[in-house]
Amino acid sequence: MKRRQVGRSSTALVAAAVAIMAASGAAQAETLVVDTAFQLKTADPAREFEPTANVFMHAIYQNLVTFSGGDLTKLVPSLASLPQVSADSETFTFELDPAAKFSDGSPVTVDDVIFSLNRVANVKGSPSFLMDGITVSAGSKPGEVVLTAATPDPGLPFKLTNPALAILNSKALKAHGGLDDATASTADKADAYLATASLGSGPYILEKFDIASEVDLKRNPAYWGPPAAYDSIVIRNVDNSAQQMNVMRGTSQIALDLRPDQASSLGKDFNVEEAAGSDIAFLLFNFDPAISSVTTNKDFREAVTDAIDYEGVLNIVGDGAQRSGGLVPSMFGGALPGSDGAKQDVAAAKAALARSGIKDPAVNLAYASDLTKDGVSFSDIAAKLQEDLQAIGIKVTLQPSPVSSHLDGYRAGKLEMAVEWWGPDFPDPSDYLLFGPGQLVGLRAGWKAGAAPDITDLGAKAAVESDPAKRNDLYAAWQKAVNAEGPFIPLFQPATTVVLAKTLEPLPFNAMWTVDLGAAKPAAK
Amino acid sequence: MFARYWHKLPSLVRFTARRLLAGVLLCVGVTLISFILTQVVPGDPITAALGDRAAGDPAIVAAFRSHYGLDKPLPEQYVIYLAHVMQGDLGQSQQSRRPVTTDLAQYLSATIELAIVAMLAAMLVGVSLGIVAAVYREKWPDQVVRVISLAGVSVPTFWLGLICLYIFFFKLGISPGVGRLSPGVATPPSVTGLITIDAVLSGQWTVLWDALSHLALPAMVLAIYTVGSVTRFTRAAMLDSLSQDYVRAARAKGLLPRTVLLRHALRPALAAIITVLGMAFGRMLGGAVLVESVFSWPGIGEYAYRSALSLDLPGIMGVSLVIAVIYILVNLVIDILYAVIDPRVRLA
Repeated sequence: MKRRQVGRSSTALVAAAVAIMAASGAAQAETLVVDTAFQLKTADPAREFEPTANVFMHAIYQNLVTFSGGDLTKLVPSLASLPQVSADSETFTFELDPAAKFSDGSPVTVDDVIFSLNRVANVKGSPSFLMDGITVSAGSKPGEVVLTAATPDPGLPFKLTNPALAILNSKALKAHGGLDDATASTADKADAYLATASLGSGPYILEKFDIASEVDLKRNPAYWGPPAAYDSIVIRNVDNSAQQMNVMRGTSQIALDLRPDQASSLGKDFNVEEAAGSDIAFLLFNFDPAISSVTTNKDFREAVTDAIDYEGVLNIVGDGAQRSGGLVPSMFGGALPGSDGAKQDVAAAKAALARSGIKDPAVNLAYASDLTKDGVSFSDIAAKLQEDLQAIGIKVTLQPSPVSSHLDGYRAGKLEMAVEWWGPDFPDPSDYLLFGPGQLVGLRAGWKAGAAPDITDLGAKAAVESDPAKRNDLYAAWQKAVNAEGPFIPLFQPATTVVLAKTLEPLPFNAMWTVDLGAAKPAAK
Repeated sequence: MFARYWHKLPSLVRFTARRLLAGVLLCVGVTLISFILTQVVPGDPITAALGDRAAGDPAIVAAFRSHYGLDKPLPEQYVIYLAHVMQGDLGQSQQSRRPVTTDLAQYLSATIELAIVAMLAAMLVGVSLGIVAAVYREKWPDQVVRVISLAGVSVPTFWLGLICLYIFFFKLGISPGVGRLSPGVATPPSVTGLITIDAVLSGQWTVLWDALSHLALPAMVLAIYTVGSVTRFTRAAMLDSLSQDYVRAARAKGLLPRTVLLRHALRPALAAIITVLGMAFGRMLGGAVLVESVFSWPGIGEYAYRSALSLDLPGIMGVSLVIAVIYILVNLVIDILYAVIDPRVRLA
């Protein structure tokens, strides 16, 4: 009797669970489902600087200029024509497309551009630096916008592709607490509204924004371009192991965070877009004698450069990763081919170490122990470097720490040697001039202004050169000089994998917004 | 005067009032400890909240510190926080830029919905198995239940979640997978924040089924650990109860075995069972992070984890405070239930 009762209740419980699960609602056919592990804080373009925000904001907001597909070296018009650039590369004149309109049907105006870009500058959020030294004004003709840089800045139009510099409907934004003047840093309140509605001109509009679970978009019926292919797009926050199951079961159509080994096991029903990511992992030496008497030694640096088994590091990183010859990632103008990077030469490394005169060389190697970039654990990379350096007689003490405390030491320039990474702020090689002497990242390595005048000069020339070919040559020369003298050794670019079900037309990987969801459409039958 | 009225109040009311007052003091203590802990952990919120370039810009850093009150001395920060808490304001989250109360209302309701279903399942299965194990002490059903309960508390929740997802969603296709609702299914108008209840209130039966189907698997995984501990406690309490003279007397009177078991043996054992259930409920609310992570469940565990990673001080303190309040309330309810279950217990 008792046994029967307990058995009945347990059976009923299991049966109820199974029945309930089986009664699930299926995804609607006109909905595109995208799975990604969220890195997301806000739906306000002026305050966002996270990868997931770029994914969906590119579908709801538009910029003055943009890129087509995955090519980050060539700008194409968006809300405006390609700019007319002054000879000194300080003035950029854009002409707005008169057909451009926001989702409420109102036209995109010069005032909207001025307000949106000034708001980014004054709200003092993470992307505000993109507007440093730039003033925005109306041009002499209707529909003309002029951006003026304080110093020559040929890379400025490329900065304008960043989703943070999207153009918003200024009237609506002002009505919901948006400000673009100096008080914006404390008084702007529009971010709360922008989490409930979008004020853009893109093919989709924001339906739901939840930083923990999902972001929903729906088709913008007033879009001024070709209509969006899907009624709605649901971008879900999903762990990467569940992403694989979801895309294989067909409950999602795009997975953005699968490792190359996961993607390769999916079979022929998927398009796998595999490309080197835009992050660069590098080894940092501290050139500040107050921090280390070892890493400041030129021969020691040479010994470490020759000792690293770069191919072995790539093997750890996995398929699809690649070596960059310099600090600028392969998809940007001025990038060096991987063959220009250092190569392992153990004999030369030992000779350089002997020349250094350092007795019993020992260093501390810091890294973020809880950081994984595109499936790559920095703990594994640090362990590999330790092994390589110990093979030539350098004692390496690993110093793991959580990313937040690791960044404190890195940004304060207190680390003797460290494995670091850099993701591009905008798709232009000028972003990497920060690695020069006396610049933001250079100072983190104790590389002070005046430490390498030849490199500083090369960087200054590259920064103002407007001829694309000459510009690329100057950036290449600058990187080679940094490779030879600087406190950084580029290690690798991790692979980025985008998996799309074959029910979709293929979408290329784009280092700025991962995939262009606005361009997604079902595959032709 | 006050003492005279106080002593005229029923003992249950006095007991509850005393415990609530103690609870308030405990909450203040929790805020102080969590505030101190968030200050001593290495790492600067600026580093976690701002990008590389922004963190190097003094104007942006100053604006951030000023916005979140981080430019004030620590004691002043704490006093301001406490004053705001008294008015129901837990500050603004640095990760979501929303009021922490808004975040908590959203994420806590998701976890409560998950925890309630898991708790009911754990209670039903755990108590049943515990009774079976006690009745068939040292016989094969007891051995089987022992293995089940041991497995329940030993299997890592994260691993179990992935395996269940693999079997029930990926292989068998009887679970809809991750999240609270299927993509494209609109959330019902929020009244309680519990989608199942809100769906019932708004009469959206399709949404209710969809929500229940999403709830079943994570709740089952979350329940399994608790089933193990509830089973073991129930067995021990029932064994103790079954060996008492009043149970022998009931049997000697010729009462039905079912009556003896459920009325005479189970009722005294309930106090111990309720204790473990209460603690388990609190643990579920605070420790569901792994299940929430596997099933992309937007609950308080995920929120706490993200707050800790991004050194979101208002978020961390808000979660600590809410979990403390829940523990205190659950304990209070348990103590009151003791008296209801067993009239010999005095709420002195």
